Amino acid sequence: MAAVRRGCPCGPASPQSSSTTLQADMAKYMAKTVLLLLFCQGIHADTTTSPESDPVVTTRKAAPKGQGQVIIEELAILTPQYIELLCNLTDIPNNPPYMTGYWTKDGKEIENSEETINRNNAQYILKKTFSIQARDLGNYSCVFRENDARVTFVLQVPVMKDKRDKPVVSYIGDSVVLVCKLKHMPNTWNWYKANNTEKELINVTADPLKYKILLNGNETKLTVLNLTEAQSGKYICSAEFDIKASESQVELKVLSYTEPLKPFVAIVAEVLLLVTLICLWEKCSKPKHSSSTADDVYSEQTSKLTHDESNGVENNTTRQRKLEH
Amino acid sequence: MPPSASTNLGYTPPDGGWGWAVVFGSFISIGFSYAFPKSLTIYFKEIQEYFSISYSQIAWVSSIMLATMYAGGPVSSILVNRYGSRPVVIAGGLMVGVAMVTASFGTSILHLYLCVGVIGGFGLAFNLQPALTIIGKYFLVKRPMANGIAMAGSPVFLSTLAPVNQFLFDQFGWRGSVFILGGVLFNCCVAGSLMRPIKIPVSKTTEDNISPQTAGQDESKPSGCSSKLNQFIDISLFKHRGFLIYLVGNVLMFFGFFAPVVFLAPYAKHQGVDEYSAAFLLSIFALVDMFARPGTGLVANTKWIRPKIQYFFSFAVTYNGLCHLMCPLLPGYIGLVVYAVLFGLAFGMVCALLFEVLMDLVGAQRFSSAVGLATIIECGPVLLGPPISGLLVDIFMDYKYMYFACGMMMLAGGVFLFIMNYYNYRWLKKEEKQRNAEELQIFSTKELGAIDEEIKLSIEEKLKD
Repeated sequence: MAAVRRGCPCGPASPQSSSTTLQADMAKYMAKTVLLLLFCQGIHADTTTSPESDPVVTTRKAAPKGQGQVIIEELAILTPQYIELLCNLTDIPNNPPYMTGYWTKDGKEIENSEETINRNNAQYILKKTFSIQARDLGNYSCVFRENDARVTFVLQVPVMKDKRDKPVVSYIGDSVVLVCKLKHMPNTWNWYKANNTEKELINVTADPLKYKILLNGNETKLTVLNLTEAQSGKYICSAEFDIKASESQVELKVLSYTEPLKPFVAIVAEVLLLVTLICLWEKCSKPKHSSSTADDVYSEQTSKLTHDESNGVENNTTRQRKLEH
Repeated sequence: MPPSASTNLGYTPPDGGWGWAVVFGSFISIGFSYAFPKSLTIYFKEIQEYFSISYSQIAWVSSIMLATMYAGGPVSSILVNRYGSRPVVIAGGLMVGVAMVTASFGTSILHLYLCVGVIGGFGLAFNLQPALTIIGKYFLVKRPMANGIAMAGSPVFLSTLAPVNQFLFDQFGWRGSVFILGGVLFNCCVAGSLMRPIKIPVSKTTEDNISPQTAGQDESKPSGCSSKLNQFIDISLFKHRGFLIYLVGNVLMFFGFFAPVVFLAPYAKHQGVDEYSAAFLLSIFALVDMFARPGTGLVANTKWIRPKIQYFFSFAVTYNGLCHLMCPLLPGYIGLVVYAVLFGLAFGMVCALLFEVLMDLVGAQRFSSAVGLATIIECGPVLLGPPISGLLVDIFMDYKYMYFACGMMMLAGGVFLFIMNYYNYRWLKKEEKQRNAEELQIFSTKELGAIDEEIKLSIEEKLKD
């Protein structure tokens, strides 16, 4: 499937692409991946960075499979930059001398992006450099027209993966801590409270008794103190990057203390009921026993160790005395 | 066949009837005692954020609860010896319920340590010991079966409490959940009310009826302060050969007993398995455990195993050890699943027999004291085991050395128990023969004495004539 296998028999170094150390790496992997290529039009994704003169260009490479197989590469963009996306198609039967490829953004073909690719040692390389600003973020795909092989690069700000889809529950008068974490460190964090469609920035200096914000690099914590029911709702944490902000939201539910009291009272009532029933059953079955066996003396057995101990000792000593005779 | 040392009860246990209701009560008590501390860990992340503390600080809550539960054993034994099982379990249920309710209002982690850890731990101790003791009072012939069923409470409750706790947490947050769990724990009182004290007939010739004391027991006279202590708890157990064997074997075993459970999921993740599959391994383990316990009880009850039940226990411990030694050798996820199944079986076997063999060794009368003393001594290895294993993992950066170490400890315990029990059975047999010979002598001297008397009387009569 879309298992990312290392190694890609990329063509000879083009002026814009990799440094020599990376070529050495690729040569190493080439040997391993040749076998894989025999079985499928393998996808190999290599991320290589190529330092360039101004502007800094990052190269991302991937190789598409034939129709049916969807290859997706997720790339985190923190700053506005130029990025070169490269698609490397291999293993085409018949090996035609050239193929045509074009690029799409968010599903729509980019104008004037179609180009003819000449065969290069049984590979077809389609590449394009994009200037990425905030409005340019999205899904970019390279498509080979002949066999519809494509790779989709998802260009976006870092996304907070471990979101809480269930609301955080707390109580009136209590406090609560909301946390947001990211892999990449943003320039700063901001917290908002959502009122229907609007966002209201939470300002700690304006409300020092209500809110506390902790900024700790990759993570941020918002402490809301002295909760009231009105403070229920959606809270949005926003990680500000150069290019755009990444947001995640958490829902807070503030309950009154009577909420958990209801199931608690129900359970305690059930316990009392069962205990009463069991005791009643025991009392009812008692007279039956005592009436039928009036002769025997019954006693509750509470194991008295002293009684047993002394019994045992007496037994042994009396036996010993008898033996001595 | 060496005798099982439990015939000095002075009455015949019913082996059924209300006994099964008592087993159900014990099932509930044991289930709460073992499963509850483990199921609390679901709330730890949230509580950690709330109090702004580190993970090890919150983990202390579980450790304190477990430690107090084991250390409270002797206290529980003393109370059971004096008042019987029922009042102690009801008191324990009330304690742990109130502890949880108080904890839900806690304002610092210290509150949680005290309420959940100390008071909750004692409450659970007051549930565990009496639940085990009363089985010995109601069952003799079917006792291994009853023990197996009662011990199955632990995995059943763990599998139930885990999703219930998660549900409560989603609905009510950690405070509300702990509050409601306090109510749920009051059900221990229901379990306690089922533990009816057993009624025994007190006949006048009790001295003759009481069969000779448990073989292997030293017949030393209690003197001074030890005799006073003996009134509360049976210290002379420390001279009981069988009890000492059990103690040493168990201390060795417990060092490597719980760590593999704790590290099963992290080990799986380390091997590259995803989170859900790793959690699934634990579910497989719990499921196999659930059925292994009553199954083992059934097997232990058969006429082939019951007389040599100590060997069966040693086998279970050794099998556990072998399982762990093999674990690092099994490849891939399938290997892990096989390991989880085998380990679940082994774990269930040991747990089902753990207290049955103690009852078999010391007898139901002294079991209450024995289990109290045993748990407080086992407290050490139970608490030290997982952290030491964790240390091994950290030092070697590999789980296989931890598994080897645990396997070796359990193997050592198992082999020790095997060998020592072989000798113990032989010595018991010898002592039984000796006792029978003595009784025969006593009986024959009695008879001779009686015949003497008769002859004297007849001679006197003849002389009168």
